[in-house]
Amino acid sequence: MRNFVSDWFYLSARCTKQIWRPLLALIPSLFIPIFFFFVNANSLGAIAKSPGFPNVSYRDFIAPVAMFTAVFFSAGNAGIEMVQDISNGYFKKLMIMPINRLAILLGRLTEVAIQAVMQGLIVLVLLLAVGVNFRTGFFGIISIFVILILFAMAWSCVSMIAALRTQNARLVQSMFVIVFPFLYITTSQAPKSLLSPTFRVLSSYNPVTYVIEGVRALVISGWSDPAIPEAFATVVVLFLILVVFTLASFQKAMK
Amino acid sequence: MIDVKDLKKTFPGGVEAVRGVTFQVKRGEFFGFLGPNGAGKSTTINMLVGLVKKTSGSVVIGGHDLDHKPIEIYKQIGFAMQEIGLDETATAREMLQLHGRLYHMPKVQIEAQIEKLLKLVELEKVADRYCSTYSGGMRRRFDLALSLIHEPDVLFLDEPTQGLDPHARQLIWGHLRELNAMGMTIFLTTHFMDEAETLCHRIAMMDKGQIVTEGTLEELLAKHQAKTLEEIFLSTTGSDLGQEDVNPNAPDPYARTRG
Repeated sequence: MRNFVSDWFYLSARCTKQIWRPLLALIPSLFIPIFFFFVNANSLGAIAKSPGFPNVSYRDFIAPVAMFTAVFFSAGNAGIEMVQDISNGYFKKLMIMPINRLAILLGRLTEVAIQAVMQGLIVLVLLLAVGVNFRTGFFGIISIFVILILFAMAWSCVSMIAALRTQNARLVQSMFVIVFPFLYITTSQAPKSLLSPTFRVLSSYNPVTYVIEGVRALVISGWSDPAIPEAFATVVVLFLILVVFTLASFQKAMK
Repeated sequence: MIDVKDLKKTFPGGVEAVRGVTFQVKRGEFFGFLGPNGAGKSTTINMLVGLVKKTSGSVVIGGHDLDHKPIEIYKQIGFAMQEIGLDETATAREMLQLHGRLYHMPKVQIEAQIEKLLKLVELEKVADRYCSTYSGGMRRRFDLALSLIHEPDVLFLDEPTQGLDPHARQLIWGHLRELNAMGMTIFLTTHFMDEAETLCHRIAMMDKGQIVTEGTLEELLAKHQAKTLEEIFLSTTGSDLGQEDVNPNAPDPYARTRG
């Protein structure tokens, strides 16, 4: 057990260093959510006056989306880093060491969690600076981070499964396009009541909708909103399912 | 030290890469595994360390069966692979430290071993540079150092001098001789005859997934009435150039789009 924890720690440290090596690689995943937040908050603000829109500013309504998007875009990096390890042969080196293979996966997930916190904090500071009001206060912000971390780790599993199954860097890198339908076929830009009937149905099948609704409830509603436990349940179930699939892909990668 | 019995590998799709290989390597021996491209050398060495699942047969290293005690085997072996897998975002020193920790070595021993190995492969001055900045020869030398961090009993080397200039080859040969003289068992796959002649105590030649001849250099020359190892190689192994199988281990991302 002691060896397992130590392996996990050192592998996490190795993966975490890759976040800022190079430092410039962090910029795109921060730029995209901040850019869309400011553009949307300023250009679509009139939506907030529509009937059926909650009694908050459009800026506060989309603030949680900015935090969520930062995490969503960067979580896929875990798969890209894993496929790099596979294609250059380093992954094989890890596989013939006296370490538990679960520690290799947990090392990557820890990196994802740390990156989610770092990026979430940067966006949070910006949101607070422009006056976004978090109704649930400090503990609400902590809860938002827990949801974001669990979601980031779950989403990183998708990219790691792709890395392990295809072992092809281009395929794994191109997977970031999947983020767009998952992010936009939701209530990220407008409440469900203002969506077209088709989008309303589609968004109800998208798990990301429940995550965004929960994070949003922590910003603009309050603890009594049922969207909060729904978001927690969604990310926990997603995380558990995808970790199991990732472990299965791990075994399959060793032929 | 290494006991292999009737080792076979058939890849999905029916390619028989290794067809019943049996051999032993004694403790402290320098064992050469020769064969033309596609003979099954790399598949065999990858099965010995558990990177490729064997179809049948048994592998025992240092008294431990690969099927039952792989972790015990991993503690004892080092492997410098044909594809030099380095973490491009780390420095050589960082990688050595990480590997020492993953082998659960005490910190003091790790640091002492790092200094010794960097000196051995003549990379002390560049130890704090990122691996991505290393030349091909430096990468090979560093990979050798990395496989030695935990002072393994058995060192597996898969084409360790592939693509190196004569100076770098001589340097690596010198290190390998030193390690073997200190008692390390070395299993080397190569298709360079001079490398096998110079380094190996005993040689096995493989062709089309089977061992076609085995013995010391002297025994092989006498047995095949040949003057050089190359003559034996040419007479016992057929060239399959143009007919080699593709790497059956590599995933094919285009399989579904192909008619």
